[in-house]
Amino acid sequence: MRVAFLHLPRFPVQRRRPLLGRPAAPEAEPPLALVHAVRGVQRVAFASAHASAQGVRGGMALTAARALVPALVDLPYDPAEEGRALASVAEGLLVLAPAYMPSPPDGLWLDASAAPLFGGEAGLLRRALSHLLGLGLRARGAVASELFTARALARFGGGRVTVVSPGGSAEALALLPLQALEEVESPVHASLGAFGLRTLGEVARLVPAQVGVRLGTRGLRAIALARGGDDARFLPAPLPEQIEEARTLDAPAEALEPLLFVLKGMVDALCARLRGRSRAALRLTLTLLLEPDGPREVPLVLARPSNVPRLLLDLLRSRLEDLRLPAPVATVVLGVKTWCQDPGQQRVLGALPEGDAGLESVLARLATALGPEALSSPRAAEDHRPEAARSSAPFQPPVAEQGVHAEARRASAPRPAPDARSAERPVRLLPRPAPLPVDLGPVGELRSARLFGRPRAVLGLAGPERLSGQWWTRGPFARDYYRVHFEGLGPTWIFRDARDGRFYLHGFFD
Amino acid sequence: MDAARVNAETLERLRARIQALQAAPRAHLAVLRTGVEAVDALLPAGGFPLGEVVELWGSPASGRTRLALRVVAEAHRALRLAAYVDGPGELYPPALAALGVEAGRLFWVRPGASFQGSWAALQLLRSGAFACVVLDLTHTGQRLAPAAAKRLHDAAARAGGLLLLLTPEEAPGEGSLRLLTTAGPHGMHVEVVRSRQGMRARAADVPWEALGPWGPPSRASCLLDPFGQSGPVPAPLPPSLQRPRTSEVRNGLCGIQGQRPGRDLALPALGSPLGLKG
Repeated sequence: MRVAFLHLPRFPVQRRRPLLGRPAAPEAEPPLALVHAVRGVQRVAFASAHASAQGVRGGMALTAARALVPALVDLPYDPAEEGRALASVAEGLLVLAPAYMPSPPDGLWLDASAAPLFGGEAGLLRRALSHLLGLGLRARGAVASELFTARALARFGGGRVTVVSPGGSAEALALLPLQALEEVESPVHASLGAFGLRTLGEVARLVPAQVGVRLGTRGLRAIALARGGDDARFLPAPLPEQIEEARTLDAPAEALEPLLFVLKGMVDALCARLRGRSRAALRLTLTLLLEPDGPREVPLVLARPSNVPRLLLDLLRSRLEDLRLPAPVATVVLGVKTWCQDPGQQRVLGALPEGDAGLESVLARLATALGPEALSSPRAAEDHRPEAARSSAPFQPPVAEQGVHAEARRASAPRPAPDARSAERPVRLLPRPAPLPVDLGPVGELRSARLFGRPRAVLGLAGPERLSGQWWTRGPFARDYYRVHFEGLGPTWIFRDARDGRFYLHGFFD
Repeated sequence: MDAARVNAETLERLRARIQALQAAPRAHLAVLRTGVEAVDALLPAGGFPLGEVVELWGSPASGRTRLALRVVAEAHRALRLAAYVDGPGELYPPALAALGVEAGRLFWVRPGASFQGSWAALQLLRSGAFACVVLDLTHTGQRLAPAAAKRLHDAAARAGGLLLLLTPEEAPGEGSLRLLTTAGPHGMHVEVVRSRQGMRARAADVPWEALGPWGPPSRASCLLDPFGQSGPVPAPLPPSLQRPRTSEVRNGLCGIQGQRPGRDLALPALGSPLGLKG
């Protein structure tokens, strides 16, 4: 089996770098250390390159590190949270690979069997590194037939992209330093160093029987690894059921901008995870943990399924702009409540990469603000009762035709055939029929009616059209509809109800 | 060797075809015509210009909505989307097909509160995804605030969409082009009452038939003769569902003017054959 390893050097530090702001120059970046408590003492777990250059090392006490670098910025380190963050990044890579296996705290293996889809194994690695760079993460990658070989080459090989052909592992590993055997326990590692060995090639040339006598099975395993004989198996990580991103802010946010800054990273990660699973979100929930008021939920409803970060971020921005919060925000959780499969869309020649992003964005914004029931596409229902013939359906317009061929298709688009029956219906129907005071002649003919505050004579009349039905229900109806032209108005639609003999105004041919 | 030559020729033909398609002039939608010649002739650009706010202001049943829906249908014919922000909730879908409106390309927004209508129209315009947005303020009791109108103007101009305002007589809006519509006995009267391009006070009379495909005059038109003396023999009808009708003359058998009820015949057009006075 071919596996790829992606090494993200100092991943816990890298993923926090955006939170510190963008420095004017790399050397102006503040020195950063992640610290955790070890036996009651705050010790450095990870240090940024800038801090490392000034002598800060992992395991050093925070006080000692501060003595070395007074400007050191320290942030808490939580291995569980880092593990979740690494899994989130790995899920985003599922667009390139069918499965992943984490290697905390700063690496992950990918099943490289889908490499032919991306131009080979080197192409797969380049796509993965490009994806990670889009998330603000630098990485190195290697593909090999064994887990150890891929990992050692990605971490210690030096190259950004390394591909080892099957059977060439021992040769590829030969020049790597002895530190690549970090998987083997440190006493064995130290002993090998004490023997004067410096590279894995030298380890591979040892006689197993002699090493077995001196170092036991661990020594034999070290030789096997150095010879490219790793037999560890790739165990795909199970995907969490819930697609959710959470961030705890370093300082509670009182303004919109810092919140949006955090949300940007969360939305990017969430959408990458959705795309990795070929899913699109339909309904999301943003939970803001306020200090000290507690959680506040903000539902987000999308009119159409989407996994586009820009759309979700626009939607979040418009929702948060209208929100008045009584307390600052300490923690943000963004979760997908409802999702569907995302089949993707094939672009055509000349199509714009953003597609109909404007439409998606406005549909989502309106659906969130007005509710999905306020948005639809009009439909005529097959019902004789006029008010029941008004129906609606979800707005799902044809996919916007783009590209150079769309112009030609527009010119030849067939025109819909006119519908004779719909010509007899008014364009405006009152929500409820309004009683119409009428003046009838001596033999019952309609002479005038009181409309909009004054009596209006009948100038013309057409009908009746008798509509009746539902006699088998508790709400039968029988109406004679007329198109009546009143003085000072255009054509109106009125009916005489057979139940009470009264006239009602029901619509306008406006 | 032959296969390679054929492949090269095919590629060359495809390349030439793509270049021709890319170099072809793109269709640019600048105006949306109503299709009613008399109305289009009134307008400076020969139709409703995109990027503007056009107001159709007038009395109920004066033909404003049908005029607006004809513009929507024109946008649909160009395979563009349109939106109808239905403030009063009165749009009646069964009537749309006859006006050429493609229901699948019409986004129907029914805001719960009247103030949400102008906000929704603003969002729709800003998106740039809709060629035409109709904002119906009839029967809502809402008058567009100047600030909201300014925002709508800006959004329409920037996104290049057309905003059609349907406003009642008592609450005119702030359209850069305002058409006053009034209902006459034979048709609607359209007058340009505000225009930035100097077409004010121009007016036209449009017969009702021009606004929609009314059913052709038929035998039913004679039914409007008082009491059907020249009409067909009334057919017996089933008894009323609730109680007998009050009018002895109608007697449950005929219409209010003695005519035979029927749903099979198309309703006749409103015109002189139907007994219009004057």
